[in-house]
Amino acid sequence: MLGVAVATAMIAVGVDVGDKINRELRSYGANIVVYPEDAALDVRIGDQQIKPVSGGAHLKESDLPKIKGIFWGHNILAFTPILETQTEVNRHDVRVVGMYFAKQLHFGTESFVAGAEKLYSWWKIDGSWPRDDSDEVLLGSRMAGQLGKRIGDEIQLADSSARITGIVSTGGAEDNEIVAPLSIAQKIAGEPNAVDKLYVSALTKPEDAFARRDPARMNAADHDRWYCSPYANSIAFQLQEAFPGSRAEQIRQAAQNEGAVLSHISGMMLLIALAALIAAALAVSAAMATTILERRREVGLMKSLGATATAIASLFVTEASLLAIVAGLIGFGLGSVIAQRIGRTIFHSGVEITPVLLPIVIFLALLVTIGGSAAAIRRALRLDPVVVLRGDA
Amino acid sequence: MSLRGSMFFHLLRRGLLGRGNRPLIAFIALTVAATMITAMLNLYYGLENKLNRDFRSYGANVTIAAPQGTALPEGAVENAQQILPSGSLVVPFAFAIAHANDGSAVVVAGTDFSKLQKLDKWWLVWKWPTEKNEAIVGMKAEPHISSSDGSFDLNFSGRILHLIEATTLKTGSEEENRIYIPQSTFEAWTGVHPSLLEISVPGSREQINAAIGQLQSAFPAMQVRPVRQLLEAQGAVITRMRSVMLASTLLITLTVALCVFSTLTSSVLERRRDFAIMKAIGSSQTTVNGLFAGEAFVLALLAGLLGYLLGSGLAAWISEANFHTAVAPRIAVLPVVIGCSIAVALFAALLPLAQLQRIEPAGILKGE
Repeated sequence: MLGVAVATAMIAVGVDVGDKINRELRSYGANIVVYPEDAALDVRIGDQQIKPVSGGAHLKESDLPKIKGIFWGHNILAFTPILETQTEVNRHDVRVVGMYFAKQLHFGTESFVAGAEKLYSWWKIDGSWPRDDSDEVLLGSRMAGQLGKRIGDEIQLADSSARITGIVSTGGAEDNEIVAPLSIAQKIAGEPNAVDKLYVSALTKPEDAFARRDPARMNAADHDRWYCSPYANSIAFQLQEAFPGSRAEQIRQAAQNEGAVLSHISGMMLLIALAALIAAALAVSAAMATTILERRREVGLMKSLGATATAIASLFVTEASLLAIVAGLIGFGLGSVIAQRIGRTIFHSGVEITPVLLPIVIFLALLVTIGGSAAAIRRALRLDPVVVLRGDA
Repeated sequence: MSLRGSMFFHLLRRGLLGRGNRPLIAFIALTVAATMITAMLNLYYGLENKLNRDFRSYGANVTIAAPQGTALPEGAVENAQQILPSGSLVVPFAFAIAHANDGSAVVVAGTDFSKLQKLDKWWLVWKWPTEKNEAIVGMKAEPHISSSDGSFDLNFSGRILHLIEATTLKTGSEEENRIYIPQSTFEAWTGVHPSLLEISVPGSREQINAAIGQLQSAFPAMQVRPVRQLLEAQGAVITRMRSVMLASTLLITLTVALCVFSTLTSSVLERRRDFAIMKAIGSSQTTVNGLFAGEAFVLALLAGLLGYLLGSGLAAWISEANFHTAVAPRIAVLPVVIGCSIAVALFAALLPLAQLQRIEPAGILKGE
């Protein structure tokens, strides 16, 4: 029973751990970017924008909720629009990045929250996140040093003033920027409804050989299969369809390397589950063998009373099977509880137990129990009843 | 005493070898337990290294940037390489703005391709440039260079450089806007020195943070920054996996220990007649206990050793199948495994004996 419980727990955790780690990794930034098809070439070295991003094409902010309408809409874990612009603060040129923080959006009857709080949960913020559509901003850590501003200070952006709610340190370009709600950036840029880029974090399936094929050259059936698989590039393709005049690309650094980490982790957990299963099987067989050897006298008695070997064997096998089924059921329940506990304590979310696992587990329990007893039953049957009953064996 | 001593060992030998397959079953159970414990412990320690290595394939985890408009000090690459642990990669980048044929401005980067190739293995390119005038052209920059036969010109303040496109580059981020050329060609053309080092430091998050501290004190005027997104993700995943592994190790160890315990206990209980006879003919409690404990001890020691070997093999196989490199067996695991298996075996042997002590030998011999 314990063996079954552990096997269940290990399989359940093993199957689910990949998904859990996938979600974990997906909370560290985007893996798909959407930008206008005819975006101007970005001329930038490190943090310095050489040529201010100006004019060019934009995506429409009002289109954004459509992101949830794509085929894999539920796999979109987080996204935020980005609009970069430039202004002057105390005669310094300052870059302002507009984005959502935790904006409530509606698509059809569904409402959801989008923004940087989820997409960039790893940003180190001293203070608090600003609210969307307010006059609150975050100041990059190095920008704060340059301007000599602190949390709570007012800062003059274009022709309105904004309040600093936090200092952000990311190790990236944001350290030299002002991070503002999208509405402020749009006002400074004088481009209402405009969005430069859309960063999307989507739960994807690691890229495999099929995903690497060129979708344009697939036949209809393959194309459907590709379209309906949550690969990074098929989700990108669907995003492109959702926003007219856009291009969507997977961010290869994330997409490609995550696959390796994930397949390694889930592969290892499955192998460990398998090893645990075999170990449990061996341990259970040993226990079964002991019990049967203990009942040699019973076998001797039955034999001397005229029972055939088949009758005795079937008696033992039935007993073992009943035991296995009951133990399998209890073990499954116990294992599910253990898996839940592991999921909750480590990942703060439960582990999904698929009912498909139950018949598999019971079947395995049967196999192990009967297999484990078979050798012992044969031995017990071979013994001469006279010897056994006299107690000499 | 010597007679009793030799009798003790005779009985011990008979107990281990002369009872058909009963001790064999106990031995197998113990070996399986020891195997699983060894394998799990080896994997537990090995996993972190393997995952750290996986995370290195993302590319640089530290950058050193010169303040705006300046270059890195002379010999910065060699200097950084010396400070960092062996196996670190330091790739220099120099940047300049040039104009393409159609007049649009494009960022040109000079770098060391032989190193970059190792740092950013995930870059989607057809071939890495080897010649002096070969270039990697970013996907988005490509339309602007308007080359029909794969060769194009770039103009840097009046000086023309003729280049051959070796490959396009697809990354999905800002690299696609740039053109990458070999560092020596770049310096001869523009006279601009590297202003950015992308560095990949091996090891755990703590080791990387330590390296950042060392680099910052070696380059006080430069901006040494961790690629925080990557480091945080690495830290989080490894912490989680460590907990998962610990939980599975405990769970599996506990189960096999319990199974072994029940097998051993029943095998000792089965021999209550031996126990009763020995007591009836006058052996002391200590001698009997010593005999059973000795049996359990020898069994556990052998099973622990064999289990260690098998378990190391199992761990190596799992890691080979999964990460394509084996984990090296850890000798530190050996005492733990042998200690555990001896503890379980002794406990499983002596617990039933304590029960039997309270029963009269005569009762057992009568078959009660």
